[in-house]
Amino acid sequence: MSEPEMNRDNRPDDPCVDEMTLLLYVERQLDREAAQGVSLHTQTCTRCLTLLRALDRESRLLTRSMLEQDEPLPARLAEFHEQVKRNMQWIWGVVFGLAVLGVYALYTGYIEPWQRQFEQAGFGGSNLLSLMVFEGAFWKGWESMFSLFEVLAIMVIAASGLFAFRRYWRRGSALAVVVASLGLLLAVATPSSATEFRKSDTVTIKKDEVIKGDLFVTGNHVRIEGEVDGDVYAFAEQLEVSGRINGDLIGFIQSERISGVVDGNVRSLANNVTITGTVERNVAVWNQSFDLDPNGKINRSLIAGGQTVSLDGKVARDLLGFFENGTISGFVGGSVRARGKSLAIVSGAEIDGKTAFEGPKEPTVSADAKLASPVQFTKMEHKLHERGSGYYIWRVIWTGTFILFGLVLAGLMPKFATETVESAGQVGASFGLGVLVFFGVLIAAIIACITIVGLLVGLSSLMLWLVMFMAAEVVVGGIVGQWIMGRNDEFWPFFLRVVVGVAAVRVITSLPFIGGWAAFAVTVWGMGAISLALYRRLQPTLAPNIPPVPMSPINSPLPPNTTVGGL
Amino acid sequence: MSAPGKTEPIELIARARTGDTQAWGDLYREFAPAIFRFCRRAMPTREDAEDATMEIFMKLRDKLLQYDTSRSFTAWLYKVAANHCWDMLRRRKARHDKDMDDIEDVALECPEPNQLEKLIEERTGEEVRKALDKLGMRARMALVMRYYSDMSYDEIADALGVRRQFVGVVLLRARHELRQALGEGSAIAVGGAR
Repeated sequence: MSEPEMNRDNRPDDPCVDEMTLLLYVERQLDREAAQGVSLHTQTCTRCLTLLRALDRESRLLTRSMLEQDEPLPARLAEFHEQVKRNMQWIWGVVFGLAVLGVYALYTGYIEPWQRQFEQAGFGGSNLLSLMVFEGAFWKGWESMFSLFEVLAIMVIAASGLFAFRRYWRRGSALAVVVASLGLLLAVATPSSATEFRKSDTVTIKKDEVIKGDLFVTGNHVRIEGEVDGDVYAFAEQLEVSGRINGDLIGFIQSERISGVVDGNVRSLANNVTITGTVERNVAVWNQSFDLDPNGKINRSLIAGGQTVSLDGKVARDLLGFFENGTISGFVGGSVRARGKSLAIVSGAEIDGKTAFEGPKEPTVSADAKLASPVQFTKMEHKLHERGSGYYIWRVIWTGTFILFGLVLAGLMPKFATETVESAGQVGASFGLGVLVFFGVLIAAIIACITIVGLLVGLSSLMLWLVMFMAAEVVVGGIVGQWIMGRNDEFWPFFLRVVVGVAAVRVITSLPFIGGWAAFAVTVWGMGAISLALYRRLQPTLAPNIPPVPMSPINSPLPPNTTVGGL
Repeated sequence: MSAPGKTEPIELIARARTGDTQAWGDLYREFAPAIFRFCRRAMPTREDAEDATMEIFMKLRDKLLQYDTSRSFTAWLYKVAANHCWDMLRRRKARHDKDMDDIEDVALECPEPNQLEKLIEERTGEEVRKALDKLGMRARMALVMRYYSDMSYDEIADALGVRRQFVGVVLLRARHELRQALGEGSAIAVGGAR
């Protein structure tokens, strides 16, 4: 049959068959008479025959695509257990409940009473950070606070264990082993031999005593008169170092006094810090009152934050300060950058580098002070309730930064990015897990840093937490973008949705009054979504030897001249 | 709709019906991958598919005694799965997403046969699966029921709650949506909804 004879699309006595009829023919849904008509027509019409074949091939393509085993059966579905679903619901409720309970207990048990106490004591004007960390009365609740931290940390670790072993939940014995193991681990974990622990009401490292390795010390009164050949981690009401520490000193102290020598760095959260001795390296302190005595020496730089900072001694390099009232009468070998309420550079002061101060009023500079250059003063204006154009410009800049961050993340891990955004679509689960991660992981990581678990684990967790914190808004932006524009997992359309979503989220979080709360909710939500996606990634999957699909393949090809009985 | 060349596990089914947990476990292991894949194609997210798979098998176990052994077990299985997935989607009110409310008024432009052939030839399974994700719930559900689980028009009509004579229209419209999704970003464009 020649081509011209076959192509009879426009024959008035035999018009072409519509697509619907051809589809029904391919699907064997036409009755015998209609099917015969289609069959006869396609013998002579190239166009309809081509369309018929295309429809048939489309059916096969659909079936083949759907049958392809692109994803293995998830491990949680490997065995039938009907309690799983219920447990899933239950655990989210428990996780959320525990987290909320923890936050509530923290607030009502500690923060609120402290606030009242401080207000009664006339400290109502202090900022929250100062109230929580730097004030002296903080120590009264420290012991029980630490217990609460421990409980929360154990809860977080236990919850992680439960999630990791969720697959085996139906086996009570396995669950018991997991929980018992965690408990045992925490109970019997021993410190490395290089670390010495001292805990007592009064701890004294005597003058002729030498401790080889790190020292972890807790107590009301701690005195280091001897030598510690390592780092010192101190949690105490009073700490006095008159001996020598060959490593760093890390302290959470009410009153700290260093009259001896610290060869390393000093990093402290304390109420009062006084240095009359020598610190060979840097000092970073956050406190109510910091005093570098005329005999005190810091051989590198000083970062000081707090209410009052007095510098009578010598700082070999730079000073960076954030304080209400600062006084400099000693020597600073480098530059001074400070921000605060007031700064006085008094007689006897010597600053060899630049001096810059930002505050509500100009610093007072004594005529006897020796400065390498005049003080650069920047007036700080309070714009607590005003949001000028600068604020919004910065919001736009930060929005762009977040979007770029999202682009980098999506580019580096496109599949994980899609999964994370998909997880964010499960708002309840993400939010529940987010509350736990936001508070729990942070607390657990801090405890890990300062307790037996170790700095490596703690700092790694903190880093992960920080990355999740930064990425949370991008993730939520992704799901919001999908809600606005519809779902699309292709890279650039996906990224476009992230852009739109992040912009929308930034608008909401910039609103007055509710913006802060919205930002918090977005962060918690996003962190939960990332955690959920991470968890799913870490979930083991079955090997690909899955049984074949127990169903028939698509119908065999239909020759165009075949007619099939319909209904 | 039983699998050709593969006999249905009649004995296993019979034992499972008597409450034999071992037999039920074996039955589950045999059919769970296929049902999960069905759900994965029909539901919007992997998590939804996992949940749906579990729930379907819980339902199946409860209903196992109601199964008519003279009919295909696989067909019955997919019917339960399809009904469950569609119920889940409907409960979420996602059913109207991209779907027409009145399918009787549908008018579709006939595609250019050669272009359609070219489009089909050039697309991979993965691209089709991605395109499926972009379809409306009803369209996707219809395609999955027909081309994954090989359900009849009657069964599809029953599951979707439409008249039997409109199943073809639903499928045709779904194909047009799919072609549109497949053709996005490429020079090939075939007939779509008018």
